[in-house]
Amino acid sequence: MTEIKGISQVNEVCEGLKKRIGCEFVALALQNEVGPDVRWHYASGNLNDKYKRITVRFGKGIAGKIISSGSPMMLIDFPNDIYGKVTDHPIMLAEKLVSCYAVPIFFNSSPKGVLLVGKREKYTFSEDDQEMVQDAALELEQILQNQILGLGGYV
Amino acid sequence: MEYSATRNQMSSYIIQAQEEEIKRISLELHEGVGQNLFSILTGLKVVESGIKEDHVKNHLHEMTQLIEKTMQEIRLLSVELYPPALTALGLLPAIKSYIKVYTSTFGIVVELSSIGEEKPILEQNSIAVFRVCQEALTNIAKYADTSNVRIDLKWSNSKLKISIFDFGRGFQIEDLEKNPYSLGIATMKERMLLTGGQCEISSKIGEGTSIEISLPI
Ligand SMILES: Nc1ncnc2c1ncn2[C@@H]1O[C@H](COP(=O)(O)OP(=O)(O)OP(=O)(O)O)[C@@H](O)[C@H]1O
Ligand SMILES: [Mg+2]
Repeated sequence: MTEIKGISQVNEVCEGLKKRIGCEFVALALQNEVGPDVRWHYASGNLNDKYKRITVRFGKGIAGKIISSGSPMMLIDFPNDIYGKVTDHPIMLAEKLVSCYAVPIFFNSSPKGVLLVGKREKYTFSEDDQEMVQDAALELEQILQNQILGLGGYV
Repeated sequence: MEYSATRNQMSSYIIQAQEEEIKRISLELHEGVGQNLFSILTGLKVVESGIKEDHVKNHLHEMTQLIEKTMQEIRLLSVELYPPALTALGLLPAIKSYIKVYTSTFGIVVELSSIGEEKPILEQNSIAVFRVCQEALTNIAKYADTSNVRIDLKWSNSKLKISIFDFGRGFQIEDLEKNPYSLGIATMKERMLLTGGQCEISSKIGEGTSIEISLPI
């Protein structure tokens, strides 16, 4: 599998975004090359390596909902303002996040990934924050698209 | 005395009726819906291979992927609801299948060992033990702040003992009584008592939480 963590441009975009928004955690989930699994391929500001073992469940939690719906989502005060169960949000639990904002990453016009920024405190992501995340997601789409062409197929 | 005996019988009956219903839903998902989706998937793949137009092919491919994701989620859901392995193969395979789902869901590694010869257990009792392990692992994902869990099963002639240790942050057992909304641990104990077994919990701040279950067999 292509090592997303090793692509320095992905690194730059994510670190840049993290600094600009002033958040503690950034992560990128993508659908695997083969099969339907979506996994966290990149994370920065992580407390442990649980994210590496997590497979995002389709339709569950922030990432799962984004992959199934294709729309951005925000949590302001986890676990207090959530839909579903606390355990539907493994990445929030694993990284002790309290707020997050996440957007879909599209390939061939269907959602194949998730870019997520998170904080370990209660927070409402502003319009500006949201726009920065969306811009970064577009950049990542470009980078990953080129990588795919260059490396003969990622998604 | 008599009063308490009927009460226990009532509780057992209510729990058993609920478990039967959950089992039915789980099997229906796994064998009914799951199988149908598989047939649809196979059919669509045949259709896909015969199509030349790129955009139709892509569209179809997205659909087959969606079906695969749905099938996968249904598989996981049925293991969480009532693992099909419990009826077919017994407690240990059921715990193993649940642990796989658990690690891929929460990223927490579970080291499992089973010492002694696995014995057949009444399904009514093995589902009780399974539910206790499930609640313990759920609590660990929610509160323990840990990446590792150990589960040890010890089988002897008359008893199954299970210990679950989480190496996590631990908590003050005395605080349990203060929260009237937390019923997970109380339910664990009650369910084990109804099987004639026991469930003990102990915890040390900064060291971890331990759950000891025993079941007469
Ligand atoms: N493994 C653990 N590590 C740290 N704290 C724990 C652990 N298990 C339980 N706790 C603490 O004990 C409390 C009670 O747990 P319990 O399972 O009874 O209730 P709950 O999980 O809060 O709610 P419910 O299980 O009813 O949905 C929890 O709120 C938590 O503070
Ligand atoms: Mg609980």
